[in-house]
Amino acid sequence: MTPRTDDVSLRGLLNPPAPPGFTERTIRAVRERNARGDLALRFDIAASSSGVARLRPGTGQTAADTLRARALAGQAREELAEYLRGLRSFFTVPVDLSAVAPFQRSVLDATATIPFGEVRSYRWIAERIGSAKAVRAVGTALGHNPVSIVVPCHRVLRTDGSLGGYALGLELKTRLLGLERETPALVGTDITRTVCRHGCSDEQRFSERHRVVFSSLREARAAGYRACRRCRPTDA
Amino acid sequence: MTAATAPRDRDEPSDAALLAGIAAGDHGSFASLVERYQARFFAVARRMLGDGGEAEDAVQTALLRIFRSAADYRDEWRGSTWLYRVLTNVCIDLWRKRPRGRAAVLEPHVQATTPAADRLDVDRALARLAPEARAILLLCYVEELSYGEIAAVRGISVNTVKTQLARAKRAMRRHLSEVNR
Repeated sequence: MTPRTDDVSLRGLLNPPAPPGFTERTIRAVRERNARGDLALRFDIAASSSGVARLRPGTGQTAADTLRARALAGQAREELAEYLRGLRSFFTVPVDLSAVAPFQRSVLDATATIPFGEVRSYRWIAERIGSAKAVRAVGTALGHNPVSIVVPCHRVLRTDGSLGGYALGLELKTRLLGLERETPALVGTDITRTVCRHGCSDEQRFSERHRVVFSSLREARAAGYRACRRCRPTDA
Repeated sequence: MTAATAPRDRDEPSDAALLAGIAAGDHGSFASLVERYQARFFAVARRMLGDGGEAEDAVQTALLRIFRSAADYRDEWRGSTWLYRVLTNVCIDLWRKRPRGRAAVLEPHVQATTPAADRLDVDRALARLAPEARAILLLCYVEELSYGEIAAVRGISVNTVKTQLARAKRAMRRHLSEVNR
């Protein structure tokens, strides 16, 4: 069935040509991006019974005193591996920031609210924690983030959009931002008509071809999808 | 006539055959698929994300996903259905992640009632639609997919397609009449 074409002029206006050289550029870019492969990082993780307290790229060591701490370190390791492979957009493992000073703690708490794939400025964090003039101090606090990636300080940029700093190196910051642009955040499954945060175990049961990405929970609901009860997606 | 309905040479491989080729690691199949879909993909991405580099980035990301997961394609669907699903998934996700304040596609203002001015008006009206409605409108009027195909692309019912389209068209007319007032 062909849709009704009562807006013939609209169709003409909507259809611009691809820019010159587009094919060659696209094929080259896809080959390059494909060849890049996954980010292979091993982490040293320290956890307490209440959460992950330290997390840095390293040799894969674990520091954990209790059974529960060991389990949390293991969970962090697993979620990080999925995140780096583009299979996960959120972390469920708790963090333990009890050793962190109050100002840095408020900076890290504000940073943790930046949604996956989005970016904010150092100034935004400063304003958000009620210290609008402390932009530089925000940068320093983020530079000493003990739980990189899980508290996503790589999502904080300068106001002009330039990268700013990153304790683990600007190349990794760029790679992480690129990874988050490529990885979807909110994913529905057309078989169950359920919408999940990407990485939820309910979503991972289904293959790529059954996945439908939405821009918000509201839009997913309007399309006839319901929110997953396991990962509980919400709109900001 | 758009590319979507253009008659195809009999000797040309089907989309499904190209996807099978890609899954088997054949770079020639991928190049053919890019040739076949790039203009259509770009038209959708540009209308979803505007003129900046984002549209091109979206098309590349979509094609990268297709390149990597071609083996996941099953012929229960037309090849194009799956291709458009991957593309709309990428565009809608990128729209979600845009910096705030750039939700609307802003372009230089053009005076007079030239075709260019009409196009800008349409762009502005489109930019005010929610991304799901916009994607469905584009699949219908730019790509000329049937309601059934659009439903399969977006994993929704045909009734939802019709509701979203009617709502989107009403909103477009309202925006355009505001512009021309």
